[in-house]
Amino acid sequence: MADVCGLECLQGVKGVILDMCGVLYDSGEGGGTAIPGSVEALKRLTDSGLPLRFCTNETQNTRECFVCKLRVMGFNIRVEHVFSPAPAARAIMTERGLRPHLLVHPDLVAEFSGMDCNSPNCVVIGDAADQFSYKNLNQAFQVLIGLEQPVLLSLGQGRYYKETDGLKLDVGVFMKALEYACDVKAEVVGKPSTEFFRTVLRDMHLEPHQVMLKHTHPYLYTQVVMVGDDLVNDVGGAQRCGMKGLQVRTGKYRYVISD
Amino acid sequence: MSLRRLKAVLIDLSGTLHIEDAAVPGAQEALARLRKAPVAIKFVTNTTKECKRSLFERLHGLNFDLQEQEMFTSLSLDTSDPNAVVIGLAPEHFNYQTLNTAFRLILDGAPLIAIHKARYYKKKDGLALGPGPFVTGLEYATDTRATVVGKPEKDFFLEALRDLDCSPEEAVMIGDDARDDVGGAQSAGMLGILVKTGKYRAGDESKINPPPHLTCDSFPDGVNYILEHLLGS
Repeated sequence: MADVCGLECLQGVKGVILDMCGVLYDSGEGGGTAIPGSVEALKRLTDSGLPLRFCTNETQNTRECFVCKLRVMGFNIRVEHVFSPAPAARAIMTERGLRPHLLVHPDLVAEFSGMDCNSPNCVVIGDAADQFSYKNLNQAFQVLIGLEQPVLLSLGQGRYYKETDGLKLDVGVFMKALEYACDVKAEVVGKPSTEFFRTVLRDMHLEPHQVMLKHTHPYLYTQVVMVGDDLVNDVGGAQRCGMKGLQVRTGKYRYVISD
Repeated sequence: MSLRRLKAVLIDLSGTLHIEDAAVPGAQEALARLRKAPVAIKFVTNTTKECKRSLFERLHGLNFDLQEQEMFTSLSLDTSDPNAVVIGLAPEHFNYQTLNTAFRLILDGAPLIAIHKARYYKKKDGLALGPGPFVTGLEYATDTRATVVGKPEKDFFLEALRDLDCSPEEAVMIGDDARDDVGGAQSAGMLGILVKTGKYRAGDESKINPPPHLTCDSFPDGVNYILEHLLGS
């Protein structure tokens, strides 16, 4: 099926999904700083009337706290429009009767309050930052290696992200470490999981693209565009789901000159 | 496979002869019996937490009959290069800050060198993460591959055999790590004997292809097998 090239393919866009860290703001000291121009750009996008949703693999905070931080920076965002991995993981665990051992940022623990964490039969790993100590990783490892059927849920699989004081290792690195140690494959919740993007699309009541006839040939017209700084998790994940991805050169984007 | 003329036996230390400061039952006596056979013996280890001397002293304290020059460690292959990130087993250094520092150095072009990539090792109170998972994590973060200098690299085993004047086909390796000890040795052309002590877990023998030449309960059983079956004319 032919794909309409160039800007023509964006003419039918009916909705936009935005990544947050690296697109709207850079994380760092004091909660982070808005990327220059982003506050105004988001306002223009919101005023256009296009349905907007926000996808983040942010797992250092609950959604409520996270949106608060962004409002302080000047972004006008509604909590119910923000999709993050922790609530998605919680839903999965409830459905499958999983009791988690959490290796997550202390500020994220509240997203799992009320869950039975006794006799854990799975490990949930998020962006725990400084909590990624040998001791904590070892504890998570010991839980996993002791399970007959080890289940490792990873909230995202990013390699690194940009903070104001430089690049920092993301959850994917420690997910790979535990995968290697225990010979297991993690289940990734959040970007770039197709199921995660589909949840957002369902909330928007939109299909990622539409097939229309042009001169009797079927063509793909994009209906939803994803904007992100991470080629694999944002752009790649969105395009695998049938959306078009737009990559921004802010955040973790690195310009690599090939030989 | 024809009976090989055995000239050398390589023996892993941690998990095979001892677990921390406790000897594997019967190991000292088994070693003494092996010494009476016409084979050269070398002790090979990826242990980098302790230097060779203190490891030697610990083993001596457990009544193992061995000489320091019979010990071959990955450190022997270490090349000092201040522009490289070298990872050994140093749990206290695997915290978020130092890993970030290593990560940024590698992104800037520093090569990543792993003394070894052991997934975990056995301690008195259970299993503990080895350096392997952290090396794998950094490989993923930087999209690079580490250069591994210890087990299970072929060069490690070949180097260990070099001054014994014997080819890999004339040597056997005994260890508790299916992939790193036995798998590595067999890839180098040696025979491998897997012992079910130390970090061994049920089913480990099916994790390598070809499977271990022999899987047995512990070091003394491995020695019995060598004396009965591998020293024939």
